[in-house]
Amino acid sequence: MAFFEQHIHEEPKTFLSKYIFSYDHKVIGKQFLWYGIFFLGVGGIMALMIRWTLAFPGEAFPLIGGLLFPTTNGVIPPDTYAMLFTMHGTIMIFYAITPILIGAFGNYLIPLQIGARDMVFPLLNMLSFWIAFVSAAILFISLFIPLGAAAGGWTSYPTLSTLIGSPGAGQTLWALALFLLGISSTMGAVNYITTIIVLRAPGMGYFDMPLSVWGLGLTAILNAIFLPVLGAGLLLLIFDRVFGTTFFLAGAAATSGTGDPILFQHVFWIFGHPEVYILILPAWGIVSDLLSFFSRKPAFGAKATALSMTSITILSTLVYGHHMYTTQMSPLLTQTFMTLTMTISIPSAIFFTNWLGTLWKGSIKFPTPMVFSLGVVFVFGLGGLTGLYLATVTTDLYLHDTYFVVGHFHYTMAASVLLGGYAAIYFWMPKMFGKMLNETLGHIHFWLTFLGLNGVFMGMMIVGYGGMHRRIYNPFVYEFLEKLIPINTFVTWSAIVMGLAQIFFVYNFVYTIFFKKEKAEANPWGVGTLEWTIPSPAPVYNFKEIPVVKCGPHEFGNPALTGDRDFQYQTEEIPAT
Amino acid sequence: MGIFSPVLAATTAVNNSQMGLIEMMAPPEDISVHGNLIDWLFAYTTGMNILFFILVCIGLFGFSWVYRASKHPKAYYTYGNKKPHIMIATAVGLSVFIGVDMNITRIANNDYVNVFTKWPKAEDNPVRVEVLAQQWAWHFRYAGSDGVFNTEDDIVQLNDLRLPIDRKVILQVLSKDVIHSLYFPNARRKVDAIPGRLTRIWWEPTKAGNWDIACAEMCGTYHYRMKAHLTTYSQEDFGDWLAEASDKALQVNDIENPELFWGWQWQW
Amino acid sequence: MEMANNGPHLERRKAVSSIGMIILLVSFAMLFASLLLGYTVFRLTNEVWPPMGMEMVPITLPFLSTLVIAASSVAYMNFEKAYSAGESKLTSRKVSYFMTLFLGLAFMAVQFELWAQMADIGLYVSAGIFPSLLYTLTWVHAAHIVMAILALLLLLPSVFKEHSDTKIIWILNIGKFWHFLGVIWLIMFVVIFAF
Repeated sequence: MAFFEQHIHEEPKTFLSKYIFSYDHKVIGKQFLWYGIFFLGVGGIMALMIRWTLAFPGEAFPLIGGLLFPTTNGVIPPDTYAMLFTMHGTIMIFYAITPILIGAFGNYLIPLQIGARDMVFPLLNMLSFWIAFVSAAILFISLFIPLGAAAGGWTSYPTLSTLIGSPGAGQTLWALALFLLGISSTMGAVNYITTIIVLRAPGMGYFDMPLSVWGLGLTAILNAIFLPVLGAGLLLLIFDRVFGTTFFLAGAAATSGTGDPILFQHVFWIFGHPEVYILILPAWGIVSDLLSFFSRKPAFGAKATALSMTSITILSTLVYGHHMYTTQMSPLLTQTFMTLTMTISIPSAIFFTNWLGTLWKGSIKFPTPMVFSLGVVFVFGLGGLTGLYLATVTTDLYLHDTYFVVGHFHYTMAASVLLGGYAAIYFWMPKMFGKMLNETLGHIHFWLTFLGLNGVFMGMMIVGYGGMHRRIYNPFVYEFLEKLIPINTFVTWSAIVMGLAQIFFVYNFVYTIFFKKEKAEANPWGVGTLEWTIPSPAPVYNFKEIPVVKCGPHEFGNPALTGDRDFQYQTEEIPAT
Repeated sequence: MGIFSPVLAATTAVNNSQMGLIEMMAPPEDISVHGNLIDWLFAYTTGMNILFFILVCIGLFGFSWVYRASKHPKAYYTYGNKKPHIMIATAVGLSVFIGVDMNITRIANNDYVNVFTKWPKAEDNPVRVEVLAQQWAWHFRYAGSDGVFNTEDDIVQLNDLRLPIDRKVILQVLSKDVIHSLYFPNARRKVDAIPGRLTRIWWEPTKAGNWDIACAEMCGTYHYRMKAHLTTYSQEDFGDWLAEASDKALQVNDIENPELFWGWQWQW
Repeated sequence: MEMANNGPHLERRKAVSSIGMIILLVSFAMLFASLLLGYTVFRLTNEVWPPMGMEMVPITLPFLSTLVIAASSVAYMNFEKAYSAGESKLTSRKVSYFMTLFLGLAFMAVQFELWAQMADIGLYVSAGIFPSLLYTLTWVHAAHIVMAILALLLLLPSVFKEHSDTKIIWILNIGKFWHFLGVIWLIMFVVIFAF
């Protein structure tokens, strides 16, 4: 239902217009991909430094420690440690996952999968990337200023994040960087939503869209609605720090007319809980598609999956209070949030069943994207179930702010999104760069990453249940944590394994893009969605002729199919049985 | 070789510790009357989770194995929109919700209402303590012999909390600067210390001994050092200590020092 | 789905950009909604409002702002109408455009006057939550007004040039933003100054 005619773009001629200030959604997608992978590396090294400190307190960080921390002979000092975990969280969430899944794949997949030649607002799209770039630059600069970068945790609760707890410009720059990133993501979201509404190919209803587009679209909706809420919170924080307002500064107890630090927590989590789903929804969509593609059968209950994702999107806006049980909200609020949180499990369980239903009686192949997708099912199962402990208020009183929480949200946000992102990279590589990644290296990468991350996050949950609280530089000043030293060491080793595993990916990725000669076919996986009807890599104008869609994205193994294909393209009519 | 030395040291540490894995994984010893409620709910949820996760794994690994392409070349063509399919998906969704979620919500809610927010009243004669958190220390204040807070006979302790066993304890918590969180690992309980907003927590120790108190909310560079000591006494020992401390308080408290009077009127 | 491939190209392009603009305005609305929610929370949890020792801002200037911004919206509507009518209404187009611009600037002038007055009666930014909220809400709104005035200046060339179909899309969208800010101000006026 293309609203208007889309012209065929000409290929840009100059280097600048082709690779730097490109309007082409595919180039912008790739820019976001490189940007995200770079920050994934930075955030990953920060994670290793954090883990190193926890397992071997007082030991110099190997190889680069001496270079980075010359004053302490390579040992990470406590103030740097606080900076590291703050930046690790911020970078991973806003500068690695968001650009890879939403920036790169959102940009790349939405027009291709709905049969459009570009986004509706290409200029907005380009601006969105360059604002994100400026934001990253600000964050990066903040690492090198006097007094250092923000060090109040990625949640930056006041009053620690006001001038009382963190003097110096780091925290202000942090808030400014996130505010800019919010503007960038909102621009992207406006673009994605409008594109999905108006540029779907003729004949493509909403349920004919691949589930990836569903996931990305729902994410964009959440982004458009809730990023401004974070923006408001950050503005207030910036005003508190720069102009001397007193939103988050409380006076003595029970005096009126002073600010309230808890206000920030409310604003932050009104945004923050949907943010979890902002990160995970694209991965869910992609995994739902890939499971069907490689089981060679239609996605089980695709409509129900799409609707479950939608209802989770809506529910996610109503449950944020479970992050704040220990601030002692009124009991009524606590009970309400606990119950509402639990209702999320209904749609989650339904689409989980649908994932398994897709595998059921399939004809399953196991190339790299599929093993990564199966990995997502595993880790998200664990992540989702361990959320129950944190939703019930009594267990949360014990587990809140312990490593159990850290393990849980890494399972849901980090592990499943990371694996989902890798699945997407391995899967769409031929369409993006015209070459296939090496399968053997891909499998090695998967297994090492998978074992590593389970070791890390399971270990974290165990030490968390053992009582170890978050964000502590040296846990072993506490007697009750001394027995956890071996588990902490094990977690660190797992993290190192996981970190080293990424070398296989980086080698594979760089080698394939720059040195591999062999070209990929137009449709190497045998999949019928629209992006596979065009050559690999996709040409500048995407579709020579705007396709007309005649069936859904998951038409596999229809018994009425004739010929040697077991799938059909979305442009083909379903054969009559 | 230098970079491996910590690794070797850690490995030997593992070998030297005689603790079994299960023992290592156990939470800190429970010294409160109601901590077992939390442990029990945790164990119950774990049981349920394991059950459901086994189901997921059976589906995930079982289907992957049974229906691998080499063994099962032709996929079954279905959209999963037949009646039995929809019923199974709905049944799974509802069974998780009703069987697990509503169940643990009910249990948690009961505990929450009947125990954790059932604040001791004046007639229960609980030990009352006011807690002031600051970067990076805990101040504890007992009312002293007159039973009124913020007077000159108050017992003020730094990073040193002493409590009797078998008597309810109620602590009112406030922060001076940033948000902290008063964390009793051995009682399975914590509550945030917030500037400008009084929070409270109550529990009842059951065992005499020496324990740790920690700050669970990120509060700055030395967050990890914001540690206090908890000593639990038998009732007689506590009485002795209290008497001694009251005497001492009257002698050492400097009433000219306004810093001393950070307390507030007790709010029942 | 059947609406594809019929109707003139311009109409569809208009529809597309207004969809985009509406989504963008939802985002802006959420920003102001969060700020106003913050205001409401403080307002409701404080027994005395404005807090002790502080004066309420006299309603005259905010009321004047409301009148000015309402008038500017009307002027902009006239501009939209005159532009759509084409060459026949060239004078009316110019008059209404400059009227809007003037009223927009006048609104800013009144805001500056308001801030000066607030400082006069002792409401400084750092004096507590009440002035903090007042300043922040008016600042954020004023920043958007500045953005809107800049957007309005973008239209300056097309006021003198011939009628163009692509410009009408710009004019309609900037208009949406302009009216949106008027509505936001009205809500702020009612919530903050009138009650």
